[in-house]
Amino acid sequence: MTLTRRQLVAMAGFAAIAPPSLVFARTDPTSQEMVLHDPEAPVLGNPKGDVTVVEYFDYQCPYCKSSYGMVRDVVEQDGKVRLVLKDWPVFGGASVIAAQAVLASAKLGKYEKTLDAMFHTPNKLQQTDVEKALKKAGLTFDGVGKAVIEHQAWISGLLDRNWMQAAAFKFVGTPSFVVGTTSFAGVLDRKGLKEAIAKARG
Amino acid sequence: MRFNFSFVLLVVLSICGPALALGPPMDMADAFKLSIDRTGTAATFRWQVAEGYYLYRESLQATTDDGTKLDLRTPAGEMKDDPGFGNTEVYFGQAAATLADAPQTMKLTFQGCQDGGICYPFRTVAIDGLRIEAEAPFGIRPQDPPAFQSFALIAPSAEPEKVEQSAPAPAPVPAPLAEPGMVEGFLARGGTVLLLASFMGLGVLLAFTPCVFPMYPILAATLGRQGASLSPGRSFLLSSTYVVALAAAFSLFGILAAWLGQSFQIALQSPPAILITAAVFIILAIASFGMVEVQLPAGLRDRLARSQRSLGGSFGSTAILGFSSALLIGPCVTAPLAGALLYIAKTGNLLLGAAALFALGIGKGIPLILIGTSGAALLPRAGAWMAQIRWLFGFIFLATAIWYIDRLIPPPVTLALSAALLVSIGVFFGAFDTLPQQAGIGRRLMKSASLLSMLYGVFLAFGAASGSTSMLQPLQFSGGPVASRSLPGLTKASFATVSSNGELKAAVAEAGKPSLVYFTADWCVSCRVIERSVLSDPQVAESLKDTNLVSVDLSDMTPDKQQLMKDSNVIGPPTMLFFDRKGAELPSIRMVGEISARSLIDTAAQTQQALAKPAIDNTAGARQ
Repeated sequence: MTLTRRQLVAMAGFAAIAPPSLVFARTDPTSQEMVLHDPEAPVLGNPKGDVTVVEYFDYQCPYCKSSYGMVRDVVEQDGKVRLVLKDWPVFGGASVIAAQAVLASAKLGKYEKTLDAMFHTPNKLQQTDVEKALKKAGLTFDGVGKAVIEHQAWISGLLDRNWMQAAAFKFVGTPSFVVGTTSFAGVLDRKGLKEAIAKARG
Repeated sequence: MRFNFSFVLLVVLSICGPALALGPPMDMADAFKLSIDRTGTAATFRWQVAEGYYLYRESLQATTDDGTKLDLRTPAGEMKDDPGFGNTEVYFGQAAATLADAPQTMKLTFQGCQDGGICYPFRTVAIDGLRIEAEAPFGIRPQDPPAFQSFALIAPSAEPEKVEQSAPAPAPVPAPLAEPGMVEGFLARGGTVLLLASFMGLGVLLAFTPCVFPMYPILAATLGRQGASLSPGRSFLLSSTYVVALAAAFSLFGILAAWLGQSFQIALQSPPAILITAAVFIILAIASFGMVEVQLPAGLRDRLARSQRSLGGSFGSTAILGFSSALLIGPCVTAPLAGALLYIAKTGNLLLGAAALFALGIGKGIPLILIGTSGAALLPRAGAWMAQIRWLFGFIFLATAIWYIDRLIPPPVTLALSAALLVSIGVFFGAFDTLPQQAGIGRRLMKSASLLSMLYGVFLAFGAASGSTSMLQPLQFSGGPVASRSLPGLTKASFATVSSNGELKAAVAEAGKPSLVYFTADWCVSCRVIERSVLSDPQVAESLKDTNLVSVDLSDMTPDKQQLMKDSNVIGPPTMLFFDRKGAELPSIRMVGEISARSLIDTAAQTQQALAKPAIDNTAGARQ
């Protein structure tokens, strides 16, 4: 079941005549804008695409890892999908560090490569795994560490917004998806993801 | 009224579309139903894991309220293999974890997944007694993510661990688990004061074990030598000196052992330590007899005379005696001793560990002080008896020396030395003296006792000459008339011996039934007690009839055995470890130190119970 466009429009209209809440909505980290188009979040796929797929994930979550290739493939084949991968490090400290490293690498111009390498690590992350993944992308742990410190505010801001969104959606864990205006708890298969995208296009 | 136009309100959770391969994920609290129960200081946490869900073994963590990690014991889980991403150890169905020393309030963390679907965040619950209160359901909010460089420090997922790539992974090796976090437990509940008070209390309880018994005659002998000058006040001071020295030595050995990375007990069992201790007691004996008739080199005689003079009453000699006595009780492994030593090894906190050992030593000495102070009045002050009392104590010191070097020399030699001692006692106390007609009952009884001592000595001498090894049945030497009787109980021979890590692993993994691994040694007094009065109990044998019995004999130390002890965190004998069918240790029920038949039967029952739970053994193949 989804909300109808009409309902959405009605709600948007209601928002428009309620300026305080409109302001709130803009700065609210759980707003539609911030979930689908967080200007600070790196985007994969087609940045100008008509549908946004958001995935809340963890680098140590086995189902995030096993579905990663499929998700990238579906987005690639579609050609008009924006893919936003949002770190929700539910597996604790090592996942936070992996997330920090990959985000910092975006500032070093290596986001996609590092992300890809980080998804192909063992389930249980060790420092050496993170180092290897960074090396594969042509980076060093120390170099990335410096970038993490330099961009600490940006990284923390992103992670914090991701967390608040996941909490607001009442997601129970990773992976969880938002495709257009529908959310999915748990891993999606190829068919499911394609259908969700098609549905979002209406 | 407040409007919240968050986008999340507009997004609809798709829970029944074809998109989901699995059923919608349950709430974490329903997927993993947690319960707690407590018995004594221990707490057991159980998770009822919904079908199609699993819990990560590694995620199970307990901490005190201020974040100090507690020693949560978990059984081996099932290896779950995610192709390309490695193995992880998980629990399906049920999971259990135990804390040997659980504080009233603490925090418990766990994490799991819906198999093939979704992984839940780490969940932390606050425990207060039997109450479980959920905390933030979404894990840690990463407003303040850990510093990037601290990778090695963050817990728990970053702890290095060997990764086994080979498919059906064998049950993990006895994980290097610490001894019941005894020290940590007391610290968590009541800080340093409670820790020290508890160790002192435990010491008092341990004061009445065979390990401490030799201390009583030694202290009596020390006090007895004081003669007329012994007032209750003085005997209190002397007893206290003895006990403080004993406790100081005890904690000093602990520090040394930690420093040298050596096993405390093993170090005390090294031949030089044994010889030095025996020599101290021989010197004390010589001093007791008086040196008048013995011709020795002048230098040694002077030294002995000096020591004899000082032994006449100085606190210094009492302190030396207390210090040497620590060598006698040191090898007796008890749970608090093991706890303190492992605490030192684990945290490097020498001071606190040593203080705990000191408190333990003082506790063991409190009954000594009480008996020393009150019993001193019973000792004779002067007169003809005095010489004989001094002799008696001389013999006690000699007996202690023989008992101590027993572990270094062949048994028949011990028998020969004991024979010599008993014959001498007979002679010294009048076995061959002629009783005057008017002799009183006391003199006559003394003569009977002397003759009996003579007689026993003669039997021991016969036994020694015939190669017998038993002090109690000296004539039951090999080749002699051995009365064969079949004991319903267990003996040391009921255990299969292993002497290395590899052998142990094989022995516990291949048995197809649960295992009991018993660390013992010939020199271990508490082990002898266990073998004589616990294992021999038919009820114990009955309770262990379906258990694979394995022992590690530490009488002859080898590097392999040393490694084995280190890897299994065993401080010394007696220690009993329990393993499940697959060869994984059930660490919450290990037993250290002297035990009763009852406690062993209970533990055996507990083992069977733990094994009946699928969380611990869910491989159908291993059940056959």
